[in-house]
Amino acid sequence: MIAIEYLEVQYGRKPPVLSIESLSIEAGERVAVIGPSGAGKSTLLRTIKGYVRPAQGKVEVMGVNLATAPPKARKRINRRIGLIYQQFHLARRLTVLQNVLCGRLGVTNRWRSLLGRFSADDRRIAWSAICEVGLQDQVHQRGDTLSGGEQQRVAVARALAQQPMLILADEPVSSVDPAWAEDLLQLITQVQRHHRATLVMSLHQPDLARRFAERIIGLRKGKVVLDSAAAAVTDASLKELYRGDDSIPLNDAAGRPRTSQTRTA
Amino acid sequence: MGIVLLGLLGWAWIGTVNLENLLTAGPRFADFVARMLPPDLTLSSTEPTLFPPPLRIAAAAVAVTLQISILGTALAMIAALVLGFLGAENLTPHWVHHPIKIVLAVGRSIPIILLALLFMTALGLGPLPGVLAIAIHSIGMLGKLFAEECETVDGGVWEAMDSTGANWLQKIRYAIWPQVSAQIYSLTLFRLDMNLRESAVLGLVGVAGLGLWIENYRAVFNYQAVATMVIVTMLVVLVVDQTSVYIRRRLK
Repeated sequence: MIAIEYLEVQYGRKPPVLSIESLSIEAGERVAVIGPSGAGKSTLLRTIKGYVRPAQGKVEVMGVNLATAPPKARKRINRRIGLIYQQFHLARRLTVLQNVLCGRLGVTNRWRSLLGRFSADDRRIAWSAICEVGLQDQVHQRGDTLSGGEQQRVAVARALAQQPMLILADEPVSSVDPAWAEDLLQLITQVQRHHRATLVMSLHQPDLARRFAERIIGLRKGKVVLDSAAAAVTDASLKELYRGDDSIPLNDAAGRPRTSQTRTA
Repeated sequence: MGIVLLGLLGWAWIGTVNLENLLTAGPRFADFVARMLPPDLTLSSTEPTLFPPPLRIAAAAVAVTLQISILGTALAMIAALVLGFLGAENLTPHWVHHPIKIVLAVGRSIPIILLALLFMTALGLGPLPGVLAIAIHSIGMLGKLFAEECETVDGGVWEAMDSTGANWLQKIRYAIWPQVSAQIYSLTLFRLDMNLRESAVLGLVGVAGLGLWIENYRAVFNYQAVATMVIVTMLVVLVVDQTSVYIRRRLK
């Protein structure tokens, strides 16, 4: 699904923000990218989406090299990569249904879509995505009348409407009410399994990563310093990953991972 | 700073105010107003006159003035939408929006009355030069305001639409338009309101409508008819102004 080799991402003349020798993610994997702030988690996701141009190296997504592929091929895979943002990025004045239909823009008839018209197929796909995220009762509500958690569900549905092969989620739960964070991750992992998509999500909280991902990739200063099955990640390796970053409390004195509720209370 | 301001004020005063003239202006002004009263509200005149009584032609004059401003504003809005989207810094590359911004600035830098005179040399008298003058000038202002409105839209939504594979027009339609449409309608109504007043003034240079009749009556010293037309103009402007305020409040 994703094959990265000798990747370097650099902004200007500063030292590279991302420097990965080799990383591959197989189809259907559920991966969490964790690491201290500024470790390059978002940059990695945006590089995979093709929004960040690597200074060096090769990024292959679904067998297409993003740097060298012709625009047509890049567009073809681009619309099968669903992106979920921390800030949802919904069109605030459009309804839930209209927002989700936007997920069809890449494949639907371009001119008809400008008039706000979508084919029966598009509408069926959008509706089933809305049902999957449980917003069928709010279909005609405007995006900005929803709570943060609900808005993120709309964003998930929009990504699903793309019929994604790959879902990239950039800190999907960082700006929703912590009480809803687990529900939302539950939903994201559930739709990922249901659609047999690959999921790569960056997460701020390592305990959520351990519970919802199968594989954890730890980034520190742009380098992969941890890459293993979620079950095999030890507290010691997490401590090492977050060394010097006190904003992430790891385990409590009893060695038990704290729940997100108690931590934010 | 204060001294500079005082200097500027003094300079402007010396250049314009003739105190002697101003102090003796009272009686002359009173005489002028007296000749306007009472406004001519007759529908037919007993003696032969060069122009029909004002209330006879008021409806037609109001109609032409409204037509000029409505059509001019509509043309301007359509062109300004295209140029506004293309001229927004966050929607197009530098080499597209930069020249467009310059074109828009040139458009609004030419006074409407000058544009009307220019178009009249090519098109002759009548309402059409007024329509074009108003359209050209309004494109400059509306295009700039539309572009600025687009520039306030959060770039994240634009990227999110891009990530679904939407093309440029689709991104405009779904990421930008829903966020700016209410404000664009509101700005256009506001401009319509301004254009109505502008088109009344355009009569002074020969564009058809209310202004032309005011100028006609003034030229034959029929000040009572002038007064009627001024009142009619004020009423129309007030009605359109209030309607536009009402609609704009509803749009928010």
